[in-house]
Amino acid sequence: MTTPKGGCFGKILEIDLSKQTYKTREVPDEIFQKAIGGNGLGAYFATTEYKAHKDPLAEDAFIFIGPGPLNGTYCVSTRMSISHMSPYTGLISHAETGAHFGNEIKWAGWDGIYIKGRSKKPVWLSIVDDKVQFKDAAKLWGKTTEETHEMILKEMKDPYARTAVIGPAGENQVPYSCVIVERFRAAARSGTGMLMGNKKLKGLAIRGTKAVPVVDNAKFMDVANYAKKLAVEKEAWQGIKRWGTAGLLEQNNFFTGSLITKNYQTTWYPDIVKIGGEEAGRKFWKRHVACNHCPIHCLKLGVIREGKYKGLIAEGPEYESGGLLGSNLGMTNLNTELAMIEACDAYGIDNISTGGVLGFATELVEKGILKPADLDGLKPKWDDGETYMELIRKIALKEGKAGKLLAKGVKKMAAQIGKGAEAYAIHVKGKELAAHDPRGDKARAFSYCLGSCGGDHHEGASTRALVIFAMINSLSLCSFASALIWGGENAKITVGMLNPLCGWNMTESDYWDTGKRILTMERVFNVREGISRKDDGLPKRMTTEKLPAGPKKGAIFTAEDTKKMQDEFYGFVGWDDKGVPTEATLKALGLEYLIDDVAAARKEYKL
Amino acid sequence: MEDKERKFPELLQKETTRRGFLRGTAVAASSAVALATIGSLAPKSAQAQAKPPEPKKDPMKFLFAERQNCTGCRACEYACSVYHTGVVRPSVSRIHVLKYKDSIDVPVICWHCNDRPCIAACPTTPKAIQADPQSNGIILDEKICLGAKCLKCKEACPAQYVWVNPDTGQPLMCDMCGGDPECVKACFAQSGNPQGPCLMANKLGFGVNMAFREVTPEQAGADLLDLTFYPNVGGKRLTPVKTAKTKKARR
Repeated sequence: MTTPKGGCFGKILEIDLSKQTYKTREVPDEIFQKAIGGNGLGAYFATTEYKAHKDPLAEDAFIFIGPGPLNGTYCVSTRMSISHMSPYTGLISHAETGAHFGNEIKWAGWDGIYIKGRSKKPVWLSIVDDKVQFKDAAKLWGKTTEETHEMILKEMKDPYARTAVIGPAGENQVPYSCVIVERFRAAARSGTGMLMGNKKLKGLAIRGTKAVPVVDNAKFMDVANYAKKLAVEKEAWQGIKRWGTAGLLEQNNFFTGSLITKNYQTTWYPDIVKIGGEEAGRKFWKRHVACNHCPIHCLKLGVIREGKYKGLIAEGPEYESGGLLGSNLGMTNLNTELAMIEACDAYGIDNISTGGVLGFATELVEKGILKPADLDGLKPKWDDGETYMELIRKIALKEGKAGKLLAKGVKKMAAQIGKGAEAYAIHVKGKELAAHDPRGDKARAFSYCLGSCGGDHHEGASTRALVIFAMINSLSLCSFASALIWGGENAKITVGMLNPLCGWNMTESDYWDTGKRILTMERVFNVREGISRKDDGLPKRMTTEKLPAGPKKGAIFTAEDTKKMQDEFYGFVGWDDKGVPTEATLKALGLEYLIDDVAAARKEYKL
Repeated sequence: MEDKERKFPELLQKETTRRGFLRGTAVAASSAVALATIGSLAPKSAQAQAKPPEPKKDPMKFLFAERQNCTGCRACEYACSVYHTGVVRPSVSRIHVLKYKDSIDVPVICWHCNDRPCIAACPTTPKAIQADPQSNGIILDEKICLGAKCLKCKEACPAQYVWVNPDTGQPLMCDMCGGDPECVKACFAQSGNPQGPCLMANKLGFGVNMAFREVTPEQAGADLLDLTFYPNVGGKRLTPVKTAKTKKARR
């Protein structure tokens, strides 16, 4: 066991909410070399500490908030990753978010925050360097994320502190509730809000004053400066600086043919010009906001200038929020759409899943499968912003029949409703898809189907990208400022930064092995819960209904496409034809401790 | 024509001494051009020897922050702490970015006042903080500074700029990096699409700094919030959400 020399401190802050105590957990350098940090370290904890069929809401279930070794250093745009077993999908999950919270963890002298236990009464955590305080959150309970954030900052008496909080949705155990970081950023998609609510943890505030040690500073700065330079200058990404991801709304409608529309019925939505990036730039945006050390500033803040929500400061639209709560619901009013996005953030529910659920419900009402009587008399129809606002409120508070039904998520809703609703349920492994239709953008199916946490758009859109994204989610880097900009140089740059930073001797082939190791750890966790090749496919609509219009008219995701994609990926990472990691692969990646688990799962699920 | 050309430099000469350095730059630049012309005519070997001296960059005298251009990326904090300590450590940076009501980023900088109330307030003899006449930066003598028990400079700063080093308890003073501030370079390097740079050096001063320094970071944030997000006033949280019912927590 060796203490890390640089990049990491070898110390994780372990918080026990049941006993209201905290301690330092020593983590040796070898583990960081194997699992890097962030999502990889989360997968390591999950596979070593959990047996199969763990209750994700058990008292000793953990939440791991992890930056990576590069956080808090000169590396461009570093973020953070929250990983745990998802109470939504029952699989391993990780949620990434930007802002400054992740770096502040490193500057406080920790490599991550590991939270377990369950408090008897609501608490929030104040972390200032080594000092951790459990604070009473009785007054904050029931408050929206923005109110909570402001009240916590006030109590911290430090305007430079950073926060991560949950809203009423997390408290009410909505399974797709999220954590809102610093008011406008969300760590969503995996039900972290529900887990924190279950633990009675309303939020965290953190402030650090230390520095991350670097082994060979001159060498590290050379590579870090080069990486930064690419992020500043690379031609292809200038659009993200200008329009954020909202520019993709128009691009994916008119060019790529993958903008989801009305619960994934088509990808042609000419009305996008009323709610897209250009419209937002003209009528709404006021500021560009960046994460740590990032030249891309993709977050756009604006103020609603007319209508019912005049004066509301809001964030967006981003591609996912503008797609799911925009074109997916047939919206034509940008102001109402932005208010819906803000409402989701204020309640602390995932924009993407909420959009998926609302789109699903609207189509079911349209097809007559769901009656207004099932939805407390509400009758959602496309472009009906006010009804959607009311439904968002009901979901977050689990209010009435509608709230209880919609808060289940698409998969369980379809099972409960029956009557053929299954055909319109768009999800992979129980998680709603994001705003890229895989019929128009076939590469995106890699991320949806083969990524570890279900229908997630942020796990790499090709075989190699899946491995790269496993690495950047573990290093907690930004895909815009790093993975997609560095392109073919990803391994070279990452290794070039990590070696002088941590004093490691990583090679480029180690980079790929580490990525594969993280994916394989996550996969074994999921295999133990019954996931195999049969689950790595797209919903029925994508494989049976041709796109009716748009640039990719007639496109469909065939069974051959699915098979080709799966075969290519399984072969690359060393899993067998059932999508289960082979014993040889586990040995080669140094994951011998998982061999028995895989054997047991093979027996249990006849794989 | 000739008259006009002659008049312009004369006008400058009559100006205050603070403008004097501008004139100096012009002279240095023109002589450098002359040297370069001669150099190109000379034979090659001589050209290498008689390489014209690099036109000396005038030390910068003032820092200025164009607040509405700040995106809150903190590249300035990174560059500052790397220059002063070698590693990234915003807590010892001499420049900070305040997030005001989550919606506005306010760069908090030293305005390099003409009357320097921080130095006036320093009780030691000789003064622990002194202005460098070359760069106009404030240099701290760590051996003399009384540290945490004094901090009169911090109290005296009208801009509430001065931070305290968490290790030593001494104030963190902006030394202008000896005349070529790293924060300005870092800000400029990544600005431009579509937002111009926020930090500048030597562009202003001339008394404007004396007005800017009277505004605290919070006030600046509040003003900028109104300016940016009109019709929202005071950063009021006009949430789309009705105040949530406080529910009893269930297990």
